[in-house]
Amino acid sequence: MTTMTHRRYRAYELVELVRAPVEEVSTLSSEQRRQLTLRFRAVAGLEHRRLDAWSVERAGSSQSAFHWTPATTRRILGSAALRRVVSGGGALLDAVNDEIAQYLARAATGHARDGSLARWLADAPVAVRALATAESLNWARTLDEVARSLGQPPTIAAADVYYDVASARTTLRARRDLVIDDAAGRVIVRVRNGSPGRHAGPGLRSDLTIDALGDVEGKAARRFIGVWPDAGVVLAVEGTFDNLRAGAHDLVRTAVAQQRQRPLKAA
Amino acid sequence: MTTATLTKPRAVMEVLRGDPSSRRPADTNSAAGLRAELEDGIFSIIGSVQLTTPLLIRSSDLRAAPATTDLGSSPLGKLRGVLLMQVLRLQSVGVTTQQPFNDALDAWRSEQPGELAIQFDQLSADERARLATDVTAHALTLLRTLGDVPRHWPVRTMVRASQRLAGGSVLVSDVVDLVVGSPKGAVASVALLDVTSAPLGANAERVARFHALLQTLRTGEVPRCTCALSTATGELWSIDVNHELLARSTHELLDTIRYHWSQR
Repeated sequence: MTTMTHRRYRAYELVELVRAPVEEVSTLSSEQRRQLTLRFRAVAGLEHRRLDAWSVERAGSSQSAFHWTPATTRRILGSAALRRVVSGGGALLDAVNDEIAQYLARAATGHARDGSLARWLADAPVAVRALATAESLNWARTLDEVARSLGQPPTIAAADVYYDVASARTTLRARRDLVIDDAAGRVIVRVRNGSPGRHAGPGLRSDLTIDALGDVEGKAARRFIGVWPDAGVVLAVEGTFDNLRAGAHDLVRTAVAQQRQRPLKAA
Repeated sequence: MTTATLTKPRAVMEVLRGDPSSRRPADTNSAAGLRAELEDGIFSIIGSVQLTTPLLIRSSDLRAAPATTDLGSSPLGKLRGVLLMQVLRLQSVGVTTQQPFNDALDAWRSEQPGELAIQFDQLSADERARLATDVTAHALTLLRTLGDVPRHWPVRTMVRASQRLAGGSVLVSDVVDLVVGSPKGAVASVALLDVTSAPLGANAERVARFHALLQTLRTGEVPRCTCALSTATGELWSIDVNHELLARSTHELLDTIRYHWSQR
């Protein structure tokens, strides 16, 4: 049976969620990985697909093409700036400006490809870069607040988890922002804007599953916590086998839904 | 206690900072009671009905009393508001603009705005020139009254809040223009600022209270003060947030929900 915990976004609630022991932390075996791979191969299409919690929550419905905007830069720049402040101190605003300067330097020296963040920042007017700074600052402060509410210092994740399903033209991506790794196992925190929708639970479980797949030993996180600061809501799932299985089912179901939509789009 | 600054304020940022030595302890107990009061009130209005499409309430719904015309909600008024917001965001990260209208327009367009951008494109040359003059005048007042934002201050702009009530049948949504301070401390340190291009009046006060209520429900902590700044007059109202103010805003929100429910 799958379980999900719903809490208000308060420091004591987060501390409790981080500390509370769990009954079981599952590990995915090689056979289970193979079975999942076979399922994805059965729905392999001609195009490469990328699945994440967001596509699960939207039941595979197509997303609009990605464009850089100040809002889409905030997580990359804001998290990097917070990492900079945690390791070296200083003001967050200066750290965001330093991050942007680093991207601009990369673009100026010809090391940025077309469509990259560095190229977009270099081509953007000053006002747009300033807006990206404001967005990134918002993100960094919010992430900092969440990090301080956990009761023990987390690591600010440098990258999301990616898992390529062999011969299935499928890449799975799990979002993670903060990681606490201690003797009892990993606790992963994911921060999202807005408020959780009706399918936030399946999205969280699919992140848990992808994170376990991305682990070398296949070990699931002890707990996967989703924080929605705008709504003041926290949802959490434990790394049990039932949650992992439900997450895998949702991912395969999303792949099937996407596959069904493709011929319609082509028509 | 509500205080209106009749004399010209030092600078808005100074007012938002307040006196650090006289801050009251953080109130983390009121949020649960306010939420319960709202839930009870909504139940008395809509009963146990579960709506598939939630009743959406925004701060603009509280701004105008029913059956009145709000000039700020005209297309030009809305455009002026969103462009001024961009000027505030640029100023908050230390970028002082020399051409407020053009810079605000660049920043706003980069966010890929929807319907309002179409309205902007449909403006005649005269209307566009009038808007540019208007935004420049308001931006100058804003920049003059706001003052410098210290680099180390925990400042955020366009802070969103949304609360699902009555099992998701009512969705209350809000955006605060500027938030200074951080909750989760021992003392109340959060100050909220609403910037409006209209003169301050009862509507602005109601919206300032609404911001405080939503911030309390979102973070679980009562903010220190909620302020409203008019770029039309340069006037600033600063209101200390206490339980009485939040209870009043709760009733105003319930009245708004009752009105919108009756219109369905």
